Amino acid sequence: MLFYGRLAEAIGPELEVVVSPGSSVADVRETLAAQHPDAAAVLRHKRSLSFVGDRLVRDDYRLVATDTIEFLPPVSGG
Amino acid sequence: MSVAVRLEENALCPDKELKALLAQAAGDGAVVCFTGLARPGSKAGEAVCRLILEHHPVLTLRSLQEIAVEAATRFDLSHVHVVHRCGDIAAGEPIVFAGAAALHRRAAFKAADYLMDRLKTEALFWKREVGDAGSQWIEPTQADYADRERWD
Repeated sequence: MLFYGRLAEAIGPELEVVVSPGSSVADVRETLAAQHPDAAAVLRHKRSLSFVGDRLVRDDYRLVATDTIEFLPPVSGG
Repeated sequence: MSVAVRLEENALCPDKELKALLAQAAGDGAVVCFTGLARPGSKAGEAVCRLILEHHPVLTLRSLQEIAVEAATRFDLSHVHVVHRCGDIAAGEPIVFAGAAALHRRAAFKAADYLMDRLKTEALFWKREVGDAGSQWIEPTQADYADRERWD
């Protein structure tokens, strides 16, 4: 998993986590939120995004073993 | 129609960007450009010495390209030229250049306004102000979102 912005500040830029087969992005998000309470609000923010492979994915996306998921906090704009 | 978009890690020189856009716009009637500068103060009035713009290796440039292409299509522009800084930017330095060339001035003015309203809210950066009060993440304001919604 990769993190950016204030999520990288709270969790670190990179984290390797073993998740159950078939876990959704939402499942992983909630696991992370429980493990990192200081990042929970940003992880659950409606403008936060998740990126897998070469595309943004929804919360119901099911992860496969080779996926790297990137959690993007709300953007600042330019 | 041509669209030139660049993510710039080094100093941005608006003069050079405008010159490049003008060279493209020989058959047009109007060129409007906007240069944004890194402000030396926060909204709370504290001194800011630098801005740090973190970016995504794929999505940031893609977000700039999408905004530029949509501006070109929406306003029937001949050329769009967008350059955005990333990384460590000292207060007072140019942070963004947005230029539009069109047959007529109204389209070029509107396009520059549109480009900036969208860049201010949708360009994929994570921005921190660094100054006397430490380091602080910043996000678009309600006014920024309201400006963006004018175009919906």
